Amino acid sequence: MLWYKAWLETRARFLTSLATLTIFCAVFVGHAQGMIHPEWKADFNRLLFVSQQFIVIIWILAVVLLGMGGIVREKAIGSSSLTLSLPVSRARLVGIRVGVGLLEALTLAVVPWTTIFLVSSLARMPILITQVGFYILLLVGGGSTYFAMAVLVSSLVEGEYTSPAVAFGAVLLSAIIFDAWLRPYNLWRLVTGDFYIDRHTYLLSWPFPWRGTLASVSATALMLFASVKAIQRREF
Amino acid sequence: MTDAPVILTHGLTKSFGDAQAVRGLNLSVGANRITAFLGQNGAGKSTTIKMLLGMVRPSCGEGTVLGKRITDAEENREMRRKVAYVAEDKPLYSYMTVEQTVRFASSFYPDWREAVAGRLLNEYKLPSQRKVKKLSKGMRTKLALLLAFARRPELLILDEPSEGLDPVGIEHLLQMLVAQAADGVTIFFSSHQIAEVERVADHICILDSGRLLLNASLDQLRQSYRRIDLVFASAAPDNEFRIAGVEKIQAKGHQMVLFAKSNAEAVVERARDLNAVSVEVAPVGLREIFLETVKEN
Amino acid sequence: MFFKLNPTTSQPLYLQLMQQVRHAAETGALQDGDQLPGIRTLAEELVVSPNTVAKAYSELEHDGLLELRQGSGAFVCVRRRTRSLADHVHVARRKLRDLIEQLRDDGLSNEEIQRAFEAELLYPAEIVGRR
Repeated sequence: MLWYKAWLETRARFLTSLATLTIFCAVFVGHAQGMIHPEWKADFNRLLFVSQQFIVIIWILAVVLLGMGGIVREKAIGSSSLTLSLPVSRARLVGIRVGVGLLEALTLAVVPWTTIFLVSSLARMPILITQVGFYILLLVGGGSTYFAMAVLVSSLVEGEYTSPAVAFGAVLLSAIIFDAWLRPYNLWRLVTGDFYIDRHTYLLSWPFPWRGTLASVSATALMLFASVKAIQRREF
Repeated sequence: MTDAPVILTHGLTKSFGDAQAVRGLNLSVGANRITAFLGQNGAGKSTTIKMLLGMVRPSCGEGTVLGKRITDAEENREMRRKVAYVAEDKPLYSYMTVEQTVRFASSFYPDWREAVAGRLLNEYKLPSQRKVKKLSKGMRTKLALLLAFARRPELLILDEPSEGLDPVGIEHLLQMLVAQAADGVTIFFSSHQIAEVERVADHICILDSGRLLLNASLDQLRQSYRRIDLVFASAAPDNEFRIAGVEKIQAKGHQMVLFAKSNAEAVVERARDLNAVSVEVAPVGLREIFLETVKEN
Repeated sequence: MFFKLNPTTSQPLYLQLMQQVRHAAETGALQDGDQLPGIRTLAEELVVSPNTVAKAYSELEHDGLLELRQGSGAFVCVRRRTRSLADHVHVARRKLRDLIEQLRDDGLSNEEIQRAFEAELLYPAEIVGRR
């Protein structure tokens, strides 16, 4: 019942984020409904591209929050003795928490985009489903790094409020570092599709950036592995 | 029924920086009995228990619980399946309801007894749909204990179980302990309540400053631990009494007080040989045994 | 059958229990063939370790006072020998009562009397009196 426990722990954060994102998407479509001229298709796509950056911001904030918790936090609130006395390995405890978090992150990417797709189609401003797929893959493939960053911070930093503060700080720091020194590898620009957007049609242009995404996913895997190791070595 | 010790440690040590919480502990807890673990706050009881359950890594030394090595993560995990543990702070998940908590705990242990759980929920009057954070402290303690008592493990470890319970609750706790023991569960519990320990414990371990000072059966202590008051005609010859079994000697003028863990007869004989003017022998209660043992350290 | 065990005295609980069972048999509170509660039941009732009850029953069985039947429980066997022992104990108690009254008249407190008994039981010679 560890999955159930992880769900109970993240339920409020997840549902709040889902509601926020879905409302935001609804507002976007409501705004875009003002533009129903087909010749303004490119403008619609541009509006979509700009708006989705806000989606990305909210999504990243949400997954960082979802990455909080875990046994280190349980120590702060006093339930770690119960969790650690269970006949379950620490790796499994972390793994299930991460699993639930990733599923929630995926849902937070898919549901809003699906909403945009469906509502736009109904408003007769259809978006290519391939574009939606592209955006989702970029978001989850690239953005999972932020989730992993949050999980790693929560495995190292004690304190119910210190941990999220450090996690958000780390995200901010990474944004600054990417912008200042690692422009060509800027994670943000990968996730929002900035690297691949065609400035005329404002459509994401293929091929799908497998290398960039793979690098990002590898970083994610590495940080999650480090989180497991940190938990295994820690004393409670 | 096995004769091998359920808990066995060898030279178990834990240092936190410069401070040594546990020093060279050679603990041995026998099967099918109730063993009480006495010690002041900070004596190292909780640290020892945490080392046994894999929450803290020993600085050196080793140990086994139910034959499984405590320092091997996989063996320790396997062992935890058969061990029930209630930590001192009676941990629970505040966001779960009583019913969710019980369902959660039961899913991990094949030794869970549904009928006992149901009976205890009724007896403790725990409202099944109420979240733990809305329960009173007493109810939370009872729920935490229920998670252990609804099982039939091979070993039950309790850290200060009666803390937070009123006298009726304590009585019920002791009855549950005894019931578990009657089911063949080995019980290892730490407590400050000497009165409770005197009622139910078969065996006593006293820990102080990380060291095991006493490991004896309670009956044996009752029958053999003695306080001997002596008066001599001249100055009390305290160096004549370094006999086996004597734990402590205090001499002042013509008077001498000895505490003997065993062999009180030899002390009495020596006193008469030395022409003691007065010899009085009295039993020593567990509270006094504990205080004297710890003071001497 | 009501038992009262005192955990604070120097006598192990199982010995106290044995004594009380014997006393009950001597005074007739327990008759031949009466059944005592099972180990678990009695342990829970008295709130003592089951080992205490088990040891008491086991020793009483060894002494011939109890018969432990697998699954059924513990049954009392009062025999003639026990009855005459009961008379001895009765007389002894009366003697002790008189002696203790006397010692109290002499000015000894209950604790002093108890300590003196303990010392004597350990060593059969006389206590050297205070000067």
